Amino acid sequence: MTVRRIAAGLLIGLLLAAALILAAPGSSYSHQDRSQPFAGASTAHPAGTDALGRDRMVRVSAALLLSLAGSLAASAVTTAAAAGAGVLGAFGPAGCGWFVVLVCDVFLALPWLFLLMMVRSVLPLTTSPADSAAITFLVLAALGWPACARAVYRGALRLKRSGWMLQARAAGLHPHQVARAAIPNLAPLLLPQFLVCIPAFIIAEANLGALGLGIGEPLPSWGGMLLELDDSAMLLETRWVYLPILLLVVVLLLLEAVAVEV
Amino acid sequence: MYLSRRFALGCVLAAVIGTVCSAQAASRLPGELSWTIGSDPRTFDPAKVDDQWSELVRYLTAGVLVRFNRLTQSVEPALAESWSQSADGKTVRFRLRAGLQFSSGASLTSRDAAWSIRRVLLPATGAPVAEEFLTPDKVTVETPDSRTVVVHLPARVIGIGKVFDEIAIEPADHPSEGRVTAGPFVIADYQRLRYIRLTRNPHYFGRDRSEAALPYASGIRLDILQDPEQQVRLFLRGDYDFIDNLPPDYFEMLKRRDPSLVRDLGPSLNTEQLWFNQAPSAPLPQWEKLWFQSRVFRTAISLAIHRADLARLAYEGHATPAYAFISPANVTWYDRNIEVPHEDVNAARSALARAGFHLRGSQLQDADGHPVKFSILTNAGNAARLKMATLIQQDLSALGMQVTVVTLDFPALIERLMHTQDYEACLLGLANVDPDPNAMMNLWLSSSPNHQWNPSEKKPATAWEAEIDRLMQLQASTSNQIKREAAMDRVQQIVADQQPFIYLVYPNILFAVSPRLEGVHPAVLAPRLAWNADRLRLRGMQ
Amino acid sequence: MRFGLRVAHWVARALLILLLVIIGTNLLVRYAPGYLTDEREMDARYASGARAELSIEAAQSSSLIRMTTSEMEGWMHGSGGVSRQYGVPVSELILPRLAVSGRLLLCALPIAWFLAASGSICASLGRKPSPIWHAPAALLLAIPTAALATLCLLIEHGGPVLVMALLLAARDFKFLQRTLRASWLEPHLLHARALGIPTGRLLWSHVLPDIAPRLAALIPLSIVTALSAIVPVEVIFNVEGIGQLAWNAAMNRDLPVLLGATMIMALAVIVSGTVANREDQSSEWNRA
Repeated sequence: MTVRRIAAGLLIGLLLAAALILAAPGSSYSHQDRSQPFAGASTAHPAGTDALGRDRMVRVSAALLLSLAGSLAASAVTTAAAAGAGVLGAFGPAGCGWFVVLVCDVFLALPWLFLLMMVRSVLPLTTSPADSAAITFLVLAALGWPACARAVYRGALRLKRSGWMLQARAAGLHPHQVARAAIPNLAPLLLPQFLVCIPAFIIAEANLGALGLGIGEPLPSWGGMLLELDDSAMLLETRWVYLPILLLVVVLLLLEAVAVEV
Repeated sequence: MYLSRRFALGCVLAAVIGTVCSAQAASRLPGELSWTIGSDPRTFDPAKVDDQWSELVRYLTAGVLVRFNRLTQSVEPALAESWSQSADGKTVRFRLRAGLQFSSGASLTSRDAAWSIRRVLLPATGAPVAEEFLTPDKVTVETPDSRTVVVHLPARVIGIGKVFDEIAIEPADHPSEGRVTAGPFVIADYQRLRYIRLTRNPHYFGRDRSEAALPYASGIRLDILQDPEQQVRLFLRGDYDFIDNLPPDYFEMLKRRDPSLVRDLGPSLNTEQLWFNQAPSAPLPQWEKLWFQSRVFRTAISLAIHRADLARLAYEGHATPAYAFISPANVTWYDRNIEVPHEDVNAARSALARAGFHLRGSQLQDADGHPVKFSILTNAGNAARLKMATLIQQDLSALGMQVTVVTLDFPALIERLMHTQDYEACLLGLANVDPDPNAMMNLWLSSSPNHQWNPSEKKPATAWEAEIDRLMQLQASTSNQIKREAAMDRVQQIVADQQPFIYLVYPNILFAVSPRLEGVHPAVLAPRLAWNADRLRLRGMQ
Repeated sequence: MRFGLRVAHWVARALLILLLVIIGTNLLVRYAPGYLTDEREMDARYASGARAELSIEAAQSSSLIRMTTSEMEGWMHGSGGVSRQYGVPVSELILPRLAVSGRLLLCALPIAWFLAASGSICASLGRKPSPIWHAPAALLLAIPTAALATLCLLIEHGGPVLVMALLLAARDFKFLQRTLRASWLEPHLLHARALGIPTGRLLWSHVLPDIAPRLAALIPLSIVTALSAIVPVEVIFNVEGIGQLAWNAAMNRDLPVLLGATMIMALAVIVSGTVANREDQSSEWNRA
């Protein structure tokens, strides 16, 4: 079996395990066992409990599914947007490239933090945690594309000038056919962008909690669990606080192994 | 061959990482005390102080006629060796000490004191402390001789001694923004977003019992630093002498390391509370306004909240369950005898049922079938408040209420609370810097913009708010302590009955102190550890 | 003549970007929640003074056009306007901090590129490189900046340069590793390897020139990432740079300072894009 297939299998296994833990009878990510905050591992709580006595294993499982789904979707959207913008700029009508790069440069400089605040102010305060999470990942997807789009544009321009592309255009291929052929050749730019965005979005979602967005309580947030690592008091309280980051590293390595193009 | 190349590369990597490492350096002058403040002071002009850190700098640098002792909570002579108030309270006389000097060496006389007081009273100065005089434009100041200052007030001001604790005496006609002072320290250097450096005032009048000159310390460095992680690390390294307002989790961490490093002084004067938006003009559905304006609804919420859990889990045991707005730390005004609703979920359910609320499945609905769903706002960056909100969310789910917890950054939160009134419930704390209830007038008077649950009422919306208005005005207008206490006891009982604020906990006073620091006698009132900064010193310092 | 036209074109484009950034920043900051608020409003002792100041400011900032022209006038005069929070010229706040942030970037970027390049070489060369080489990058991408900073504080080693370099290296590694791997598997390189030509010579003479144009495209991406990373790094380590100033200004809605910081960001993005273009063109020239 190839490494890729093993990695894919492990990844699916991990997700299934998380789903099973979540679906197990009696498991709840929000139930607070207030007599046992920061409890160690036990039969009742295999990975111990958090500061409010909630089962860490169940919460990590729920966070894995929720945050991974959101960040994967957002990364896919932002990578697709970067690819679309870059390819459009390179293969589109004259002046398109200039416009795309201009938009990217302006986008990169603007303080989008304030747009996020505006989004929060427009949303009803009783927006459910799940809806808030979805909106957050959507906003992150909408804001994450310009940096990579510039690099994709440059890459697409080089492809446009390459020998085989010139030959294809001379042979009469339509621009959209040419663009479709170009995209797989941009994989060395797009795949890393996709993979880098996943943990970035997970952590960004947690940081957006300060603006009222992000995954709200009692839903568990993977990014929120990662942010606990910046509290040395928490690090000394329990070793289980490292579980989310270990899982994230494993997931990223598995995704890296799956998303190999050569 | 190939492996050795990789190995070589690995060594290079390790070397690079090693050379990149650098420790953070600290610079501290000999005999200098050091601690942190949260942000830059807005001003160094002692007359215009309007934020916490400016107030601290004023406290450390300003010479004042009388000083409100934060430990004994009594007014003591400072630049004035004695002071008196007439029987009607309208005349206050100060007798200055002989031989007073500013830090520049210039003499300090009654002319300087009178000029400083008049400057504070001028509308053009915009001094917040002027409001304490009620009608500042009618106050007059005389100087019969070079050591006597007489202040004539149009009406008695309760606690006038404490007011003069906030008026810095500066050189007449030459305000210096803390660079020429009569207090223990003088501002020597200020680097924005970095630090403020104070040096000892060589002409300070203070002496200890053996007549040695005060202050003991050569100076103070106030580093501008918010991150508690950095504060703790630098404290352990010896860069800081104490940390005030230590978060509970860091308290426990330091306690495990060395119990002598930390102290828990018990409940502070501060409160953490939850309140509902009762403003009729709030952009909320009418049924929500009816819930929030209902005493039964608010009382049921109060009955359902497990305050002991909030204290134990959100504050790691370093908080005391709260039921009233005056903390037990405020020994003069705390009323032990008020009747308060204690936790009783069944009583809460019964009360809601009598008011027409009913369960549909697991969801509570009002009499008209609206599901009881609302949000609790709190400020981002406060882990304890977020934990409390999450615990309350769980408590209220037992009643069938669906609560969303929303954290916002402070400016966005203030906009909703103070400007647009676009919120349902809010969980925040109140820092009480003065034990006297007069300091809370703006919170309890219904016409005040800071009357949080229903600000700026043209007339009191309810009979009980009208009663609170009357009682607060009464206690502010008399010097009879018995009458004042009786009025405040009644206010406390009304608040406990009506629950406009659902009090949750009184956070404890937590701090860390370096074993090298001598002379520490922590007080409940701010600045808790630095109230006697002129008598603090590092061990081994002469 | 052509050079002159190019310069004029570059300047016009830069000015257009700056103008759009000014308008966009004014719009975003002015109309985001919390602009006309002051935390002193919550303190009954200071609330009335704060409200009086805010009402004056509300009158002055009612028109976006007036605000924008006032900001631009400030920059024309060199002061950059007056900080809302500190009441001093913005240039007085920004200029000393430019050097600090510049030093941080100049130290961190080369180290990051070196680490990324070294890691990529380890991870890309050979017949079947092990995926385990990706573990350090995965770990660094998964750790929040604040946690990395806490780790540095706990072990009492490391600082902003190290944290920034590691964060950037992890991101750059991802892009560089794939680019390098794709080039390493080119048919002419496979042939050269089969002939026994040393790896070092292959890297220097064939791989690097081949990937240089793609590296040129990655440079602006890396610089932009660095500019974004500088804010949390400076805030957490309390470095007195532009990032810390910008964050403080954002939290306190200090529009003039924020505008200064965003214009610097815009200039950095423009310059990095220009450098990439030049590299691109010179590589094209060399290969032609």
